[in-house]
Amino acid sequence: MDTSLTAPRNPTASEKLRRLLISQEGVLFLIMLVSVLVLATRTDKFLTLDNLLQQGRFMAEIGLIAIPMTYIIITGGIDLSVGSILGLTAIVLGWTWQELGFPLELAILTGILSGTLAGFVNGLFIVRVGVPPLIMTLATLALYRGLAEGISEARSARGYPEWFFELGQGELLGIPTQLWLLIVAVLVFGVVLARMRLGRALYAIGNNETGARFSGLTVNRHLLFIYTFSGFMSAIAGYIFVSRVSTTRSDMGTGVELDVIAAVVLGGTSIFGGTGSIPGTIIGVVLIQLLKNGLALSGVTSDATIVVIGSVLIFAILVNNYIQSRSEE
Amino acid sequence: MSKTKAPQAKRGPLHFIGIVLALVILFAYFALPFVHQPERGASTVAVVTESKKANELKLFKTGVELIPLAALGVLLLGMWNVASPAASRPISLLMSVAGLLAIVFYINFFRATPFGSPDDWVQGAILGSLGSAFWIMLAAGLLCVAQIAIPRSASAGRYRLTKIFGNQESVILFGLLLLIFFIGIANPRYLQERNISDILQGNAYIAVAALGMTMVIVTGNIDISVGSLVGLLAVISGRLVVAGAPSPLAWLAPLFVGAAIGAFIGFLVAYLRIPSIVVTLGMLSIIKGVLIIWTAGERVTDMPADYYLSQTRPLGIPMPIIIMVVLTIVVVLWMRYSATGRAFYALGGNAEAARLSGLSQKRLLMTVFTLNGIFVGIASVMYSTQFQIIQVTPPPALELSIITASVVGGVSILGGTGTAIGSTLATLLLNFIRSAMIFINVSPFWLKAVQGLLILATVLADLIRRRRQRV
Repeated sequence: MDTSLTAPRNPTASEKLRRLLISQEGVLFLIMLVSVLVLATRTDKFLTLDNLLQQGRFMAEIGLIAIPMTYIIITGGIDLSVGSILGLTAIVLGWTWQELGFPLELAILTGILSGTLAGFVNGLFIVRVGVPPLIMTLATLALYRGLAEGISEARSARGYPEWFFELGQGELLGIPTQLWLLIVAVLVFGVVLARMRLGRALYAIGNNETGARFSGLTVNRHLLFIYTFSGFMSAIAGYIFVSRVSTTRSDMGTGVELDVIAAVVLGGTSIFGGTGSIPGTIIGVVLIQLLKNGLALSGVTSDATIVVIGSVLIFAILVNNYIQSRSEE
Repeated sequence: MSKTKAPQAKRGPLHFIGIVLALVILFAYFALPFVHQPERGASTVAVVTESKKANELKLFKTGVELIPLAALGVLLLGMWNVASPAASRPISLLMSVAGLLAIVFYINFFRATPFGSPDDWVQGAILGSLGSAFWIMLAAGLLCVAQIAIPRSASAGRYRLTKIFGNQESVILFGLLLLIFFIGIANPRYLQERNISDILQGNAYIAVAALGMTMVIVTGNIDISVGSLVGLLAVISGRLVVAGAPSPLAWLAPLFVGAAIGAFIGFLVAYLRIPSIVVTLGMLSIIKGVLIIWTAGERVTDMPADYYLSQTRPLGIPMPIIIMVVLTIVVVLWMRYSATGRAFYALGGNAEAARLSGLSQKRLLMTVFTLNGIFVGIASVMYSTQFQIIQVTPPPALELSIITASVVGGVSILGGTGTAIGSTLATLLLNFIRSAMIFINVSPFWLKAVQGLLILATVLADLIRRRRQRV
């Protein structure tokens, strides 16, 4: 969080540390450290480089979608259609390749373009027609999933050539390929949000949309951009998904929106808009993934794991609310 | 009733449209049986059994249809005059009542006329009442369209019409009627009593859950854990009765557990100030996990025979439909006239103003989430007593169906507006659409896409309507 706005004088080192600790990211990071330590004592298979890198593979899709979702929630909006866009992209990719006989490169491009277009349509209706984001994306959640089902007619596409799996299953310098993509995206879009005009404008919109409008910000263009961006990132995630699991089905990515929103909210982005950060979101994504994996390795069933994750979500917000209200006094 | 002298009735475009509409109805009415011979009907999806085929078009063949038609004409004229600026109100009302009476007479006429065997007699009565109900609803729907045709200048008639029909509920009702009308023309079997009753019965529990959701959303909150809660409460109820508890206890238990869980959510939202979407997102995972761990995925079977509440038919009407209608009316009245109900709107409209007027936000939030829990409890009993087995997984994305119903029904997601009748109508609309797809031979794979488009269309229609009203 950018503290320089509220603190005119240079804070001392201890003050800085205190600020960092009581920030949402700080609290969350501590929770993450504690849970990693606890999980590491439960099983020795958890804290190994191989396992952690493997988890990075699973995390990439959620993480990539969580970045634009953070942007959107900061502006006070929401995008429920990301999972459906993921599915639509996967289906368009598989369908254009297998049924229409596109070359695979072109099919990938078509898939990503259609996902981006789907996001653009969301944005267009939200900005031009004034449909509330929650309702618009609720409608397109059904619509895009329906398109995916209709186009594919429940047929799956498989039999992709070897090079196609590089992104989803390959490694680069010992690190899963898609994790590189996630790291680059996090760095770039983290800086954009925290330091650049575009990012700061999103906070302004989230805090006071009318105020932002009167300050001369092109609010509509910003909103249109972030929803399109959300479609684009979901499409990329769709491509990675297909590449990772080697097949295309129309139900891919069902329920992803809830995972992503949980991660973003856990990461300290207020659902009412105006606050939030990419580091927080990424800690949220990592925490959820590590919990899932660590608990599974310690012999907890996956159903008990979702109970834990739900509790952590509520608990983390609770702790944070408490600390924030204390620090305000 | 203000007795302002309205300008002399202009037999202008309004009247002309009225006549054209009446002619269209007449034409459609008489063309129906010819457009759809049973042979043609056979080529569409066979949903009904062969034996029912013979009865399906009796409504249009008996020749008695002249009676309801005349009644309809009178009714339509009466209603039309109520709406038109120059009408004398008492006479118009009289005409409406006369029309209604004639239609009721028509229904009774069918009831009293045996067609031979008692089976035919019942079939005739059902078809008869269904037929007239259809036309009554169509007339109401046409009045809704009429408001579009009325010029923008604020005539008294337009004002009155806008007041009656210019809201989301009417838009939905009209959508519903339009759908029934066109699908009915395309495939008359769609209008069969059995199909309509199946749609109503099978989805009544969604409508009931949507009532609770409507209240929650009106206060500016949301509950996305309802889907998994329905599953949990249904299993609790089923397991109780299998364990030997009397059925009434098994019906009541989910209400209490639902209220308790709702109160817990309300506590977190009201006193610990966690946004409701976050709380219920967490609860969604927790409840789903608990449910699967507890049941190990095993469905509940072998409930005693007196447990199946949803399968009973007091007075010949299926129980779920009774519950749905009664609860909708109760909630509409309660939200409209009770102090707490009004306070929900106040809270959702402007929380700060509500606080300054002395409303306790905390208590209201506790109340609304507890009530929501109770409604989810009722919905889960309706769901669990519907079939012989209780699945541990409720229909996927149930919470989305419920939220969609509330939102499409005119509940603004920002809080402060919306009514229960809208959410119930929206539930019906969405499920009539789902069923209609089957009857007009749309590939089931496209079901969801069409549904999404229609949600969008409803929302857009609402937005356009609001814009026009602001003018």
